[in-house]
Amino acid sequence: MNILGISCFYHDSAACLLKGGKLVCAAQEERFNREKYSEAFPVKAANFCLQAADLTSYDIDYIGFYEKPFLKLSRVLLDHLRAFPFSWKSFLNTMPLWLEDRLILPLKIHKELCYSGETLFIKHHLSHAASAFLPSPFEEAAIVTVDGIGEWATTAYGFGRGNDIKIIKEVLYPHSLGLFYAILTTYLGFNVFEGEGKVMGLSAYGKPKYMDEFKELIMVKSDGSYKLNLKYLSLNRESRMFNKRFEKKLGKARNPEDKIEERHCDIAATLQKVLEDNLILIAKNVYKETKMDKLCLAGGVFLNCVANSRIIEETPFKEVFIQPAAGDNGGAIGVALYINNTLMREPRIYAMNHAYLGPAFSADHIKRVILNHNLEFLEFKNDELSDYVADKLSRNKIIAWFQGSMEFGPRALGNRSILATPCNANMRDILNSKVKNREYFRPFAPAVLEENAQEFFEIKCASPYMLLAPKVKKDKINLIPAVTHVDETARLQTVSKCFNPKFWHLIKAFQKITGIPVLLNTSFNLKGEPIVCSPEDAIKSFQRSNIDYLVMDNFVVRNSGDF
Amino acid sequence: MLCKRCVLPENKPYIYLNEEGVCNICLDFDRRRSKENAALLEFELIKVLEKYKGKGKYDCLVMCSGGKDSTSSLYFIKKRYRLNPLAFTFDNGFESEGAIANVRNAVEKLKVDWLYFKSDFMQEMFSEVIKTKSKFSLCPLCSLWYIQLTYQVATQYDLALIISGWTQGQLTSPVLTKRFGSGLQPERMSCILQPESEFLLLCEQIPPFIDVMRKKYKKYSDFPKSMNDIKKKYRISKKAMILSPHWFLPYDPKEYVELIKNELGWKKIEFSYPAESTNCYLNVLGSYLSMQAYGFTHFHVEMSKLVRLGKLSRQEALDKLDLDINIEPGPSIIMSVLKKLGCAKGDL
Repeated sequence: MNILGISCFYHDSAACLLKGGKLVCAAQEERFNREKYSEAFPVKAANFCLQAADLTSYDIDYIGFYEKPFLKLSRVLLDHLRAFPFSWKSFLNTMPLWLEDRLILPLKIHKELCYSGETLFIKHHLSHAASAFLPSPFEEAAIVTVDGIGEWATTAYGFGRGNDIKIIKEVLYPHSLGLFYAILTTYLGFNVFEGEGKVMGLSAYGKPKYMDEFKELIMVKSDGSYKLNLKYLSLNRESRMFNKRFEKKLGKARNPEDKIEERHCDIAATLQKVLEDNLILIAKNVYKETKMDKLCLAGGVFLNCVANSRIIEETPFKEVFIQPAAGDNGGAIGVALYINNTLMREPRIYAMNHAYLGPAFSADHIKRVILNHNLEFLEFKNDELSDYVADKLSRNKIIAWFQGSMEFGPRALGNRSILATPCNANMRDILNSKVKNREYFRPFAPAVLEENAQEFFEIKCASPYMLLAPKVKKDKINLIPAVTHVDETARLQTVSKCFNPKFWHLIKAFQKITGIPVLLNTSFNLKGEPIVCSPEDAIKSFQRSNIDYLVMDNFVVRNSGDF
Repeated sequence: MLCKRCVLPENKPYIYLNEEGVCNICLDFDRRRSKENAALLEFELIKVLEKYKGKGKYDCLVMCSGGKDSTSSLYFIKKRYRLNPLAFTFDNGFESEGAIANVRNAVEKLKVDWLYFKSDFMQEMFSEVIKTKSKFSLCPLCSLWYIQLTYQVATQYDLALIISGWTQGQLTSPVLTKRFGSGLQPERMSCILQPESEFLLLCEQIPPFIDVMRKKYKKYSDFPKSMNDIKKKYRISKKAMILSPHWFLPYDPKEYVELIKNELGWKKIEFSYPAESTNCYLNVLGSYLSMQAYGFTHFHVEMSKLVRLGKLSRQEALDKLDLDINIEPGPSIIMSVLKKLGCAKGDL
């Protein structure tokens, strides 16, 4: 059975393909249309998925959509009605989008994908839940999903057993932890979607001094259920989602160009603590209700690796699986698996062991692209390449590392990465000035050999998707200053020889030279752009940056300096 | 001197190199490419195919020469897109037995009806090109007849869709790919289908030559002078459009060669120019004449475009084009073609 999963029309549009019960490919539309967080119908991602699986529209048995558009519209309409007449502008902007494609999705799918079979819709949070549980290695597990907004639900919990998922409880809009985080993100002068990660980074610079004020903004019960105080919000009324009362409580909102003050850091720290505490309460309550010792997490909020680490440390769950594409992109995987395993009762034969599900390019293709750009290059054998690149890294060179299949989800996990030494305390500044141009308070992540993870970090499990932020061990902080955040944590990726041997060998080669089994790993993209997808994208970004070397497959291209 | 990016030689005023040694065609291409998204999606092809499915006995006409590109097109149309095609092979009298055997194998294995048309209708014209030492490539001339004939067959069978095996580098007049109501947006095709001036150079002597031929031979009295002529005569845009699956698919020729070898028993022919192609023997002579006259052939144009599109490296293109026609069996093939046309070596 071939099932195409689709998520789109809000952010992080994506498509994935399930062939015979196995997830064979998945990709986000932004990587093809080069619009970051693209909400567009994922026609290019779907085109990739089908061609990668050597299928056409004729071979698809079902298409699954990750939410229920009519249910979502009911929330949108009611929300606008509640805020009328202040919402009329927003209403006029929103409605054409619904009429154009969202409400006629089967027609849209037929038109765009030439598909005349059945399209199945499942609820947004059920898609998240399915994306967390069904590809997990667990036969049964508790499930928690938290994001901004689905149709009505914003938080859901329940459990999965065998092929089935049961949602026990939902928190409904407008009460939403994800939305609350997004509102504070905009209050702190950052954009939604990309700003939440920045707030998380900023939080380490502050202290949670605003707990009392936040208690007014969000009321949390001991079971983790919560309510936002709508008095402080102006949803669908104005261009911003908080009102003057909110500003009176927390102070004037920061404009994007304003300097970041201590107050902003403290608010970020408070927000982060409130989120973490609330998620822990929810998880503990779910444990109490389900009595299951395994936990599956999905929804955009679980991209918050600091919160994830606390959940693992402070709840009774023995094992946790977090969907690497925890945001809406992962909804595509969820709906496809739900159709296959739950609705069609096909056995659960797929366990998600890695996120390398996107386009890959042959050595011939890459060589051709390099040649056609008239670039000088060196070609290596695998082991020679690792030694060569590790040597460059040890000499403080910055490497763009383009290998194999592109990652699915927001993180670059060693196939579309920019790499550097973690040992140089100045590397963060060097990277920012040469390539990334990021805010000073955003840390860079370490990628560590799986077998050395516990030697360097306070961690008991693997973190293959960069979704945990453990403490760096005290005696190692000075060894890897470029990836140690101000609070002595690090957004860790553990690299396994089994699932990314080439990246593993590179880190191993770096370890041989420096004694450090860690590399700094940040996504291969320039500011404001999606992560590169193709060799052409890679060369384009490489040439516009000051990255020293671009390594694609076994070919090395230089920007300046010697080979 | 060849362009540093593609494989075209300088040939002023049509092709000229800048200070960095890059030709105007490449620079033009970059300008156009930066504005347009050239990647065509397979869904766009399927949408068109769906419009023509199930309308009559056959869904479309597939031009099939027995080469890797057209044979794979026939395979894709039948197997991948599940259409019922009518295969059509045109033989100007110089097709190799191997090529025809490839088509025969393919249509038998795919259970596709096949029209095989062989004629020496053009023989006098080809002969005249050589004897008068006319300065143009034989292939574009032959294509005029071939395309006209294809439209005639399509019209006769009431088929509005013609499928070719043209690569993204094979130039064609954009008018051929248009048909009212097909749903294919012409602007989506513009980047790969833009006619290039270097190709027009190979054809510019054709219309006056046809004028002469029309007067000299009665049978050529209504022979088309250009694709536009065919368009007007057959009102192409109302009748049928030509598309190639290769414009929409990402596959490398290596991949589909393996596919047709395994599935259809396809075989490479003994000798053809450029290397790894399956072109007719007249084409060997045509390429020789084109190289003499212009220093490049229509294959240089095609491969240069493939290089620009990133489908081929410059070195791969050079390797294919460097096949020496002057080394056996090239000269023997040229001599046998000349003999068949009633010409001698001295006519070259």
